[in-house]
Amino acid sequence: MISQRVSYLTNYFNIAFSNIKSNIAGNIFAFAIMAFSFFIMLFFLLCYVNIYNYMNLFQNRNTMIVFLRNNSKKNNVMHFIKGISGVKSVVYYNNESSMKFLENRIKHIKSVLKGINPNYLPSFIKINFKKSATSKIFLSNIYLRLKALKSVNSVYYNKMLENKIIQFIFFTKVIGLIIFIFLFILSIFISYSAIKLIILRKQSEIEILRLIGATNGYIRAPMFIESGVGAVLSFLVSFLLLFLIFKVFMFYGFDSFLEYFHIKIIFLDLRQILLVFIIALISGFLGTYLSSKKLF
Amino acid sequence: MHLIEFSHVYKNYDKNYVLRDLNFTVDKGEFIFITGPSGSGKTTTLKMLTAVEKPTHGAIRFMNAALQDLRPKDIPFLRRKIGFVFQDFKLLPDKTVFRNVALGLEVSGIFGGIITKNVSEILKSVELYTKKNEFPPALSGGEQQRVAIARALVQNPQVLLADEPTGNLDEDTSKIIMDIIKSFNNKGTTVMLATHNKNLINTGRARVIDITKS
Repeated sequence: MISQRVSYLTNYFNIAFSNIKSNIAGNIFAFAIMAFSFFIMLFFLLCYVNIYNYMNLFQNRNTMIVFLRNNSKKNNVMHFIKGISGVKSVVYYNNESSMKFLENRIKHIKSVLKGINPNYLPSFIKINFKKSATSKIFLSNIYLRLKALKSVNSVYYNKMLENKIIQFIFFTKVIGLIIFIFLFILSIFISYSAIKLIILRKQSEIEILRLIGATNGYIRAPMFIESGVGAVLSFLVSFLLLFLIFKVFMFYGFDSFLEYFHIKIIFLDLRQILLVFIIALISGFLGTYLSSKKLF
Repeated sequence: MHLIEFSHVYKNYDKNYVLRDLNFTVDKGEFIFITGPSGSGKTTTLKMLTAVEKPTHGAIRFMNAALQDLRPKDIPFLRRKIGFVFQDFKLLPDKTVFRNVALGLEVSGIFGGIITKNVSEILKSVELYTKKNEFPPALSGGEQQRVAIARALVQNPQVLLADEPTGNLDEDTSKIIMDIIKSFNNKGTTVMLATHNKNLINTGRARVIDITKS
């Protein structure tokens, strides 16, 4: 029984590969169309991952800056801050370290700071909150309590930006999901059309096979193998093309240009690549199923 | 028990009756000519035997199975017991002679050494073994029909149905094809051959079923 199934499977693979070889031009055309649709999907995913990654950088900046009054004592404020649960780290910057901090933040144009007396800069405390402690109410509460302290001149945190970015990330997620589903459906439709071209060419062959006693499974199995092989090859071509473009992009230093704007370009990880690979296989099989449905 | 039995078979397309009250039986090992003018229903009769068409009324039995009640999933198994030869050969042009004949066995789940043995034997019996690696478009009409006969008979079917098998061939080639078919009939294969060619019918002592009289 098992050897019979193995024989069937071997035969199906032989038929599928001989079909691919016998219509090499048609298959290359169909696979190229499929590769194009998978490339669009991979490219979109790469863009999405990078945009999402960039947005998350903002979201993870859970920082609050507390500017102190001149000659005020930092200890009271530090003591108060350390008593807040949810604080990850607290760093005090005096006038001189304020200057270094500023220089570091604007390192590309730090020459503008030349000749400025560090004493002009106020001392401040930088608070980093834990990821779990970034709710709008929590931060507003801390903000108000800090502002009420006598030693504190002013308090800054990116309250508005934070909310906007959270909204924007949510919006990006929703739009990304919608576009991804649309691209998935598009890839099924493209695979369906490409495979249909191959199947239409085989209509008389299918008729002959039926007349000599072939079951639907016998006729369909090689078609599914063909489209599976096509999906894998198309995916590999589209992935290699994207990888090549990405490498060229990096080679010409676009990444360091973008780094100037604190944008770090990353490539797709294994999980994301696998996702598109599985989608490619599903598109291939579903395309075959739909395009051959009318024949059976 | 008859091998094939048609009883009160009617077939119509819309309101046009192609067959009316067709009744006949075929026993194992017989050679039957089905004759009648074009459009009389010869091909339809053979198609109903392979479950390509269903009768509008009546019953068709093959090896005691009622074909009109056959489930779609059982049809391929019926067709493996029947060899079919067509006027237009119906060979796969991109497969060699050997692979075309082997298809008859592969669809039945026969693989490996048995294929090589059986296909070689049948190709020798139709005198095409030397052309086993050629492709159908490179063969003459007669040779293509011999490949089609080999493919139909390689499964060792209960009955060979031939629909105008010499319709596209010249007289000499037709004779060769008929001799091959007769030789298989002499070995015990039941043959039903549909033709309107009177000369062909007169060449042997076969039973003739004239369906225009149905």
